[in-house]
Amino acid sequence: MKHVLGLIIILLFIIGFSLVLTVAGNYILPSQEIRSLAKYYLYLAYNPWHRNFTVMSPEAVTSIVWDFRGLDTVFETAVFYLAIIGSIALGRGIVKYSKPSGKLGLSLIVKTVTRISAVMIIAVAASIALHGHLTPGGGFQGGATAAVAPLLILIIFSHYYLLEKGVTKDLMLFLRSLGLTGIGIVAIIVYLMALPQGIHAYVLQNQPKPDSSIGLPAYIDGQLISGTLWFFNISEFFAVMAGFTIVFLLITIPERAFKKEEEVERQ
Amino acid sequence: MIEDILVVIGMIMIGVGAVADLIAAIGMNRFKNFYLRLHAATIGTIWGAFVPLIGASLVATGCYCLGSYRWFVTGGGIITAFLVLILAPAGSHALARATHRSGLVKVEPCVVDHLNEEMCVKEG
Repeated sequence: MKHVLGLIIILLFIIGFSLVLTVAGNYILPSQEIRSLAKYYLYLAYNPWHRNFTVMSPEAVTSIVWDFRGLDTVFETAVFYLAIIGSIALGRGIVKYSKPSGKLGLSLIVKTVTRISAVMIIAVAASIALHGHLTPGGGFQGGATAAVAPLLILIIFSHYYLLEKGVTKDLMLFLRSLGLTGIGIVAIIVYLMALPQGIHAYVLQNQPKPDSSIGLPAYIDGQLISGTLWFFNISEFFAVMAGFTIVFLLITIPERAFKKEEEVERQ
Repeated sequence: MIEDILVVIGMIMIGVGAVADLIAAIGMNRFKNFYLRLHAATIGTIWGAFVPLIGASLVATGCYCLGSYRWFVTGGGIITAFLVLILAPAGSHALARATHRSGLVKVEPCVVDHLNEEMCVKEG
């Protein structure tokens, strides 16, 4: 009976796919017209001839995320910040727990492979974040990728190895606060630059606008950085990487170690 | 001339990969215990993923129609192949070691098990 059901599902899947590929393809087609809003975004993402409207970033997604709808992304980061704060609050009171004796972690083969791959993961993550304004990717994606390296080390080497290497909850909390402060400063930096000159500017402004002639430089030494986008991506990278690492550190505290401390406290 | 040789060698490697994947799939279904099936799965990742990836890199290197972009394909293929080569054995090693040490899966049928005699279930 089970086999018959599985066979029917597979057959239905194949027939459905064939239908989509042959008959339905003639009737259901995506529209060839680009919607006017999308046209506007694509036209202005990188457009040096319209300096008052462009973002100067060839990556349309990053231009939308950090410029056209920048405020939304700042709020998203704030939500993520609150989630991390919540998880830290749940893990409060876990101050000290002793390292168990004996060999920790998986075998030497797995550890060696992790040593090689963790470095590569960090390198790829940094490239995703630093090229966020040129190629698909960005601060959040890069940070999430970088957080995989501490997760692997936590599982394969043990929780205490990471702590002994100095990757503690407090350091990560500091890095995350640094990243968030960076986002906050970059959000108002054009406004701060305009203030002494008596020009008015906007929060989350990147390039000059029609009624505000000030903006961050799009190029530094001939390299495209797209004004605020590069700084936003770096800050977000640190904030997200450190935030995820804190959560991983908290969820891998062994329950045994924690319980022992509690019992000691009760006595 | 050299590009034709590269493409042919690459195609052969991709073909070998396809055959190896078929063999690995048969092994996954036919082998009798967990450790043997893990062996079949690793055939699928090394012969069925590492070798065709190198083959695809060779095909891309020999294919002048791709222009200078062929080096991107080649580089991506070789790096991915290297990662598969080091990560897949480490993963299957970790799985097999954890399973054997925790004693979750007995070795059955077994001829000899030097690591732990109690895990060895002789046939018959």
